[in-house]
Amino acid sequence: MVVTRTRCPSAQTTAVVLALAEEPATWRYGYELCQHLGLKAGSMYPILMRLADRGLLETAWERDAPAGRPPRHLYRLTGPGRVLAGRLAAEAPVRPTPAHGGVGRRPRLEGT
Amino acid sequence: MSRTRRMGRVGGLAAPAVAAAPFAVLWVLQMRSAHDPLTARVRLEMAIWMAVFGTPWMIAAWLLWRAWWRQAGARLSSLDGPGWLLAAAAATLPAGRRDWGAAMTAELAQVQDPGARWRFAAGCARAAVFPPGGNRAAVGVTAALAVAAVAATVLATGAALPAGRVFAPALVGLVGGLATLAVARSRRVGRTWPGPVAAGLALAGNAASVVATIYYLAEHPSYRQLRGPGLGVSLPPVTAVVLAVVLAGCLWLTLRPPRWLLPDRHARRFGVGMALALVAGFVLPSRRDLGAMTLDVGILDYLLLALPVVLLAGSAAAAAVGRSFRAGLWACAWATVLGAPLLIAVWLAEALRWYQRRGQLLLDGEGGFGVGGNLVGANLGDAIWWTLIVLVLWALPLGVLGAAAGSARARRRRAREQAEPAPIA
Repeated sequence: MVVTRTRCPSAQTTAVVLALAEEPATWRYGYELCQHLGLKAGSMYPILMRLADRGLLETAWERDAPAGRPPRHLYRLTGPGRVLAGRLAAEAPVRPTPAHGGVGRRPRLEGT
Repeated sequence: MSRTRRMGRVGGLAAPAVAAAPFAVLWVLQMRSAHDPLTARVRLEMAIWMAVFGTPWMIAAWLLWRAWWRQAGARLSSLDGPGWLLAAAAATLPAGRRDWGAAMTAELAQVQDPGARWRFAAGCARAAVFPPGGNRAAVGVTAALAVAAVAATVLATGAALPAGRVFAPALVGLVGGLATLAVARSRRVGRTWPGPVAAGLALAGNAASVVATIYYLAEHPSYRQLRGPGLGVSLPPVTAVVLAVVLAGCLWLTLRPPRWLLPDRHARRFGVGMALALVAGFVLPSRRDLGAMTLDVGILDYLLLALPVVLLAGSAAAAAVGRSFRAGLWACAWATVLGAPLLIAVWLAEALRWYQRRGQLLLDGEGGFGVGGNLVGANLGDAIWWTLIVLVLWALPLGVLGAAAGSARARRRRAREQAEPAPIA
């Protein structure tokens, strides 16, 4: 269920949404997003939780995790999330520069 | 020996040692603070008393460690410091957020640098302990109301109840802070509702304790000390803060119980029954001794002997019925958080009756009409400290022992049932 909000997202939330919108069909990892945007985990995960609560973020678990480690959580924007990303991109044409420059490696959900 | 087994054994030795340490320190402090040189016999007697109170704690600590290690410790033994931090924080997540705890834990495995692991774990721990949830406006309003309530309480006690100037603001501040935390951590408060009986008992006990305390502060803010000159303060600042913490903590644990305490209905029902038995068991000997014309009066015998037996037997029964150590443990926990405010309230009420009829203190019968002076205020400190001493220091470890005994019986019964051959059709 999408919760319509009239309040503008924070700058950090905007950066996360726009980063996810760069390749909207690609699943992303939480730690990879932290490194890509230079956000701390204490800021990133509350943002991801709120986006998921509002139906703007889709989550999934890795299907074929390597032996010896737990499956990782994956994120990508839902349809309403992409709509929000388009609105935010139109309102803020100058994108925030990733902290480490360039785009990090984008993992994919195995099997897709 | 594997690292896991080694950690398990070290923990099994460390837990009783940690439990015994406060009693050892207390004995040393008593030896040092004695004004007169103590004889060897007195030192031995004090050591025996410390051992009497400390041994159940050591056994209970070992039992709790063993139960926890079997369930989670072996799994956690492979973790480093950041892993432990994140696991502990993730355990506090509400039920609807537990997936996120697993997600953050899985991501930590990707972080290799030790410094980066600590930073990542600390950030995730903050997100776990304070997850987004409540309406921000509701959180803000609750916090503002809490601050306003504390300010109003400070003004009111300053004008009308000076003796309560520490207790009342401390209690209101703690309750307001916990309410703000509850609104911030959960979108749906109803999920952790413990049921009408437990909630009603908690609210009644806390309300009765607060009302009784306010009465004592208004009518008997000080008392004439039996030993030594001058007046004693009925509710000194340290005692006031302790009482506020106990009442607010018991209210919080009952109305917003942790998720591991909530599901077991048997434990909750036994806990309610044990709390009511504690109170009834308190009132009965009080009324009996009040009517008896004997010199051996006071409630001390009940506190030290009968009250722990209620928790021991009740926890054992809960563990046997629920067929698990946890059921007995949580029944003891429910009995403690429900029983503590009720006992304090009943103590204060019975103490007034005692003083009106005999002029004596309820705990041990000290005082009397011939002594002179007003001793009623001394009952307030007795009610608070002795309830804590008996329930927390003495009865709680016995509840753990009762849970272990009851679950052992249930395990033996289960093993017998499994060993019996199936009937031939």
